Amino acid sequence: MTEKILARASGRASVQPGDEIEARPDFVISYDFPGYTDVFFKEAKEEFGVEKVATPERYVLFIDHMIPAAAPKEEELHQNTRAWGAKNNVPVHERKGIGHQVSAELGYAAPGAFIVHFDGHVSQLGAFGAYAFGARKGVLEAYVCETVALRVPPTVKVTLTGTLQPGVMARDVFHHLVRVLGPSSCAFKAVELCGPVIDAMSVEGRQTVCGQAMFLGATTMLIAPDAKTLAWLDGRQRLDVPPVHPDADAVYERVVTIDVTDLAPIVVVPPSPANTRNLADHLGLPVQSGYLGSCASGRLEDLRIAAQVLRGRQVQPGFQLHVVPTSQAIMAQAAREGLLATLVEAGAFVSSPTCDYCYGRIATMADGQRAVSTGTLNTPGRMGSVDSEIYICNAAVVAASALEGCIADPRPYLLSTEGAA
Amino acid sequence: MGLANLRGRVAWVFAEDDYDIDLIIGVRNIKITDVQELARLAMSDAEPGFAATVQRGDLLVGGRNFGYGHPHYPAMRAMRHLGIAGVVAESFSPGFFRGEISMGFPLVTCPGILGAAQRGDAIEVDWAAGQVHLPGRGQALPLQPLGVAERGTLEAGGLIPYLKARLGRTAATPPSKGTPA
Repeated sequence: MTEKILARASGRASVQPGDEIEARPDFVISYDFPGYTDVFFKEAKEEFGVEKVATPERYVLFIDHMIPAAAPKEEELHQNTRAWGAKNNVPVHERKGIGHQVSAELGYAAPGAFIVHFDGHVSQLGAFGAYAFGARKGVLEAYVCETVALRVPPTVKVTLTGTLQPGVMARDVFHHLVRVLGPSSCAFKAVELCGPVIDAMSVEGRQTVCGQAMFLGATTMLIAPDAKTLAWLDGRQRLDVPPVHPDADAVYERVVTIDVTDLAPIVVVPPSPANTRNLADHLGLPVQSGYLGSCASGRLEDLRIAAQVLRGRQVQPGFQLHVVPTSQAIMAQAAREGLLATLVEAGAFVSSPTCDYCYGRIATMADGQRAVSTGTLNTPGRMGSVDSEIYICNAAVVAASALEGCIADPRPYLLSTEGAA
Repeated sequence: MGLANLRGRVAWVFAEDDYDIDLIIGVRNIKITDVQELARLAMSDAEPGFAATVQRGDLLVGGRNFGYGHPHYPAMRAMRHLGIAGVVAESFSPGFFRGEISMGFPLVTCPGILGAAQRGDAIEVDWAAGQVHLPGRGQALPLQPLGVAERGTLEAGGLIPYLKARLGRTAATPPSKGTPA
């Protein structure tokens, strides 16, 4: 799939792993962040004389960090972004949710699209069959040139077989891949994910898995489009490209099959996303806060399972449970389904979509505190004090831990509420 | 134009796999923009006084998947300010690699370096020979060659001068078969 996408984007009949190409991104996606977009805008103008981008339809900006602003400097950054967008005729979406999710909702993901961002979590658009990668500050290239230079990566094919047990979510699947394959196993490679587990997985779950590709070392992760993908994209897709599927005789650098039938919920223990462990070995560890949200999790299935765990129960007194739906569209749907009422009545603090909980800009933790989180990262200091700890886990584990005030197994709660909805 | 060889001493060995480079200055300090302050903080958690031990041209040695996680720029800005001329590691995390090459900062992938080099060793990166030399140990290890664009970026001194040169060529824009609606 990668080779077909990059061949089209580079105007070649075919490409091979290792080929050095210059490929034209179908979309250049960014969120405004100091040191990134403000610098790109400035450097494009001052160093390259780019007053306006030539093809504004290829660019899109999101304001999802520092929203709402908490200091004049933050709002000034947003003002600058809005002004650049207006001048360039480039859309600026703000207060709609986390850009990686909203870009999918707005149709920037398409099977076969080639997409760049500075933030590697854009790989979640691979859930729709796009090749989407993060170039960090190198994305300046896409603001001043038609094309970006890259080496065609080899592809690792991962087939997931078996059936996920109740209470085991896409989040567990991804971190299990890190445990089985290793955190650098796919370095500088693309990962193509397939198999019955992926076939059965929701589009949301696929976004969750693909978005974390960087923690396998991968440049991105893709899933071939199926009926589920096409139904989701129907009416949204903005790019008219033929959907790309892998050839039956496609050549992979490595082919791995992993059976997930025996997989139980995991936790990723500090200080690194490389540290996947069994939830069962960490039960009972006291936690003071929980975060359910981020571009990795915080979608409807996450909110639904959290509501299922919390329905008719109460969060442990003093426990801070922050629930942040990934987008406004998701939040609205959660409201229609009554999920927000259930969560709030159980004691959750529900906020509008923002990236700010994920990196400790708000709900900042103090020394000695410990959180369970569906955020992207568990590096010390990520959510506040460097002397606080983050245990990454799925949404149901966050909810169960909020009830008990310690790391808890959600499955007994799920069993006892089965059918109650 | 060729890449200038790197010659210095090993200023630090990061033996851990998947090393999160934000720890170099401490995650609590990643919002600091003053480069002198950052340079003073570099490795201070691990060894107060590290900054004074660095000589211009020194290199860092890393393990596998160096730069894993969400790498931010202040750590290597601090190191460059101290005079660190590059990193030689078993392997790098791709996001870190692309980001720092964009800054014009040499990253050298050299399997075997971790077991071979000790802090304080003389070390030399010979791009033309494709080798990392440890003269004090009489060892030479092969390095993995850079891609054309990566090499061009380092030769130019960073992404901005490289792109200026690239745009100066009459580069043909490949046709796009996709049409944004």
